[in-house]
Amino acid sequence: METLQEFFSFSDPSIIAVTVGAVLLSASSAVVGTFTFLKKKALVGDAVAHSVLPGICLAFILSGTKNPLWLIIGAFVTGWLSLVIIDNITLKTKIKEDTAIALILSVFFGIGILLLTHIQHSGNAAQTGLDSFLFGKAAALVGKDLQVFGIVAIVLLVTVALFFKELKLIAFDASYAKALGLPVKGMDLLLTSLTVLAVVTGIQAVGVVLMAAMLITPAAAARFWTNDVRIMTVLAAIMGGVSGLSGAYVSYVAPAMPTGPWIVMIISAIALTSFFIAPKRGIISRGVQQRRLQRMIMDENLLKELYHLGEKDADIYKARSIEEIVEERFFPKDRLRSSLRRLRREGFITKENGHWRYTEAGRQKGQRVVKLHRLWELYLSKYMKIDPDHVHEDAETIEHIITPELEKRLEKMLEYPEVDPHEEKIPY
Amino acid sequence: MKVEAQEPVVEFHDLTVSYHKKPVLWNIDMTLPKGALIGIIGPNGAGKSTLIKSAMGLLPLASGYVRIFDEALDDVRHRVSYVPQRESVDWDFPTSVLDVVLMGRYAKLGLLTRPRKADKEMALNCLRKVGMEAYVDRQISQLSGGQQQRVFLARALAQEADLYFMDEPFAGVDAATEAAILSIMQEMTAQGKTVIVVHHDLQSAAEFFDWIVLLNMRLVASGPIDKVFTNEMLQETYGGKLTVLAEVGELVRKRQIPSREKY
Repeated sequence: METLQEFFSFSDPSIIAVTVGAVLLSASSAVVGTFTFLKKKALVGDAVAHSVLPGICLAFILSGTKNPLWLIIGAFVTGWLSLVIIDNITLKTKIKEDTAIALILSVFFGIGILLLTHIQHSGNAAQTGLDSFLFGKAAALVGKDLQVFGIVAIVLLVTVALFFKELKLIAFDASYAKALGLPVKGMDLLLTSLTVLAVVTGIQAVGVVLMAAMLITPAAAARFWTNDVRIMTVLAAIMGGVSGLSGAYVSYVAPAMPTGPWIVMIISAIALTSFFIAPKRGIISRGVQQRRLQRMIMDENLLKELYHLGEKDADIYKARSIEEIVEERFFPKDRLRSSLRRLRREGFITKENGHWRYTEAGRQKGQRVVKLHRLWELYLSKYMKIDPDHVHEDAETIEHIITPELEKRLEKMLEYPEVDPHEEKIPY
Repeated sequence: MKVEAQEPVVEFHDLTVSYHKKPVLWNIDMTLPKGALIGIIGPNGAGKSTLIKSAMGLLPLASGYVRIFDEALDDVRHRVSYVPQRESVDWDFPTSVLDVVLMGRYAKLGLLTRPRKADKEMALNCLRKVGMEAYVDRQISQLSGGQQQRVFLARALAQEADLYFMDEPFAGVDAATEAAILSIMQEMTAQGKTVIVVHHDLQSAAEFFDWIVLLNMRLVASGPIDKVFTNEMLQETYGGKLTVLAEVGELVRKRQIPSREKY
């Protein structure tokens, strides 16, 4: 708790630097990743992330320093190279894209690890900390490194903002964009460069191994909350930023801990939460809708059976016992009881001496369901030429979803028929 | 059977197009007239979509060229509009109906410029024309097939072009949408615009179009409907006489021979 306070008081200037850096890096990769996600190129991000490792190592070997500029250039070259090779393999051989990605990813990463091991055994004093590129170390973001990576992150954000409209169109409908005469190839090149740059900067915080998660997960999480690309991009940036912040915190509290896994854990938790609780698209919300629908069907079926019973002994408003209802049609007892309670609360039925009977509103509702059922049966047999003994099952579902407008059209089309295909009276 | 157009807007000159080295269109050579509603008809795999995609510069040409308004496509792109097949995009993309129609304005706007108020009004007008004004803010995943097609049409209208290429605009739409789209097309041609439509239903083709292109990997016929839409021509298009062409195409692909020799 104390460290939490200490951290968020930002009394230590290095904390501010690390925090700002981590948030910027995570947010900018999330923004670029939104378009990678929308273009359904998630795996490409992963391939780039792994392919920058040999570039970083080579840049270190050749320059002998950990100057971030050199490392970025090295990473950029091999990251780019990997994409060019993947494209060419897909285009010119029978190998499909997923296979090409897997091939390139492992080959490049393998070379990277090889070089990294070589560097570590070379005894070069400057090499310490290079392995933090594997799993990330937000705390290493200080001084000049921070400046360089921070500038790159801002360049990324600004570029996406400037070309937002084109990036959106190309992600949605590339051939139309091309037909409009937009520079689709150039924009693709731009997005690829942005992806590589995002990876290059992001790995400082997250590391190459888990970088793909920083590109894709915020976008996937944001997608649950909105149907607007603009909001989705901003939301992805915020979610990425929050996870970056938490990474910075962990890095401060437990310097020995790699920050990448923590950042990825946080963003994954955000994504998982979104998956469950997001309105409309979330699992829980969908479950609730499903349940509501089931209840509505149960209630309507119950009212319908009360109507059937009333038809039988020509007394619609007679009070019925639970046994009578179950005899007409089987309902599980507990669901029947809760449905009865619900209908009573809503004023469709009343209870007298343990027996249930229609109110006026209940009769109307029950009658309508019966009418829709029989109208639909008639429609099926008359217009779709389905045998009368095959129409019942269908009508059982359709009776619950026909809107008042459709109801009117059906009535008109069938000319207010008296009876359904089974000679049962259609009530109006 | 080929009739040259009096006032040509599109000229295909000896066009050959290949997919993965396999020629799918052979030596298409024809001109299409201004102000006509033109149907491109042929069986599955005849290369109908390929033909208009190559006219829009979306596919590399193995040989030949296409000239539009007697110029190269890139010089007149702003006068040409394209409606891709409805299934070619992911309708779950997070965007609204208005946003999609606004895309039709992007070419006029250029890079780095946001849609202005005038563009929005233009887009709204186009939505009104296709009877979709009530769906402006609707998320596109909630649209029915017919509504999706109308949105695509509105987007093309927003380009204010003189020549329209449409890939199967009548595929999988309801009767009301079909009628709406057709009347918009007729209105456009009455204004002297040219509408070229890939179509697969022979029955309605006879009612819709005034110029017909019959295609089956090669050009069978092109001309006014009364001259071209004959039993004999249709038989030639849909009959199985062209298996030799398909087999040669397959051979070209297997042997990886470029369909035109280059030195």
